[in-house]
Amino acid sequence: MMSAPLKARDYKSGVKPIWCPGCGHYSVLNAVTKAMAALALSRDDTVLVSGIGCSSRLPAYAESYGFHGVHGRGLAVAQGLKVARPDLTVIALGGDGDGFSIGGNHFLHACRRNVDITYIAMDNEVYGMTKGQASPTTAIDWEHSKLTPHGPGVRPFKPAAVALAAGAPWIARAYSGNPNQMARLISEAVSHSGFSFLHVLSQCITFCPEQTDWKTVVHEREAAPLTDAGEAAARFFGESGFETGLLYQNPRASWPPQRQREPASLADIAGRLRV
Amino acid sequence: MSGAMELKRFLAHALEMEEEAMNRYRELAEALREHNNLLVADFFEAMAGESAKHLEEVKSFPIAGDLPVFDPWDYDWPADAPESTSYEAVHYRMDLRRALELALENEREAQAFYAQYAESTTDLETARLASSYAAEEADHARRLEERLKHLPPTSPSQFEDDDPAHIPE
Repeated sequence: MMSAPLKARDYKSGVKPIWCPGCGHYSVLNAVTKAMAALALSRDDTVLVSGIGCSSRLPAYAESYGFHGVHGRGLAVAQGLKVARPDLTVIALGGDGDGFSIGGNHFLHACRRNVDITYIAMDNEVYGMTKGQASPTTAIDWEHSKLTPHGPGVRPFKPAAVALAAGAPWIARAYSGNPNQMARLISEAVSHSGFSFLHVLSQCITFCPEQTDWKTVVHEREAAPLTDAGEAAARFFGESGFETGLLYQNPRASWPPQRQREPASLADIAGRLRV
Repeated sequence: MSGAMELKRFLAHALEMEEEAMNRYRELAEALREHNNLLVADFFEAMAGESAKHLEEVKSFPIAGDLPVFDPWDYDWPADAPESTSYEAVHYRMDLRRALELALENEREAQAFYAQYAESTTDLETARLASSYAAEEADHARRLEERLKHLPPTSPSQFEDDDPAHIPE
């Protein structure tokens, strides 16, 4: 007998989120589970991997396999898992601090390596879990932290531009105020063969209440995604960072190459290790 | 599109809208309860109950065959279902008045959606049903408006916290 198709709520676990009311991450969880339902992903063959931070709590709230890993190392775990088990759907998630600072180097090389996984970076421009310090994407003049009372004084990281420069073949941006668009983009990201990077503007109402104004500046890209890296670079360096949608798409062969994907037997491995 | 198909399409939208509203109110109630804002949590829980009743009403509408299934982004609304409170509109310090105002916005949006559907459909049965749902939402809105009249105005210090989230570093 065929079982009924799973709904988004079937992909939510019994663990209740403890994010602050008003946090954009609720919307991301909603979009992730909607995308999982739309793609009819098997809960047994899907793994959500995260690092550390408010956003990295998400795998606990989803009904699938999950790994709440080491700070900044979600992408390393996710890529290793996908290479070892290419049959699984692997989605890595984390925040701006986890992904662009502590795990910045893993982000660069994940873009470059192009393993067939999806990375959702939930960017609220602040370290929320540790009570509101400036992160890599915080505005240069953000004065709300007592640690940086005159603002961090350094230019914010541009996730899309960095991802492009490092070789990411699929780059999109979503906004937590538009969960259905986000669900569509997550669905497309998971369906993309290769590394897909979804940058999500996810507000932190507790430490950055000014982010409630994002809804007045966020706008959806109407044109087709850019396919030329040079054109995209010019776009990403000059943009406001509030354009959502699929921004860049230029597929290339993912890693590892096909010839390296055949599983090795124990005898093969023993043979290679023999001196 | 045939009349039966039009009716099924409408019911699929109503079902998704009411289910999403119910789930959203429940999630917000749980979040507010976790943060000890019990007054607002109880109100959102009660609104989830109202949505559940409306959902049952939609589900019980007699119709032959399955309703069409849409991907979340293919429904006739741009970002989020009309009756669903935005996750981002709430705050752990919000008062009951603000919660009622949000619920009122939801009811008005739902009413507008159903009314617009009734106006644009060419199927008489769909128009009749959409109009009756719009009237129900309008009634919900009126009850919330009445309740709002008896609540004190929002305090300017609503969001002030005796134990603020920001700590000295």
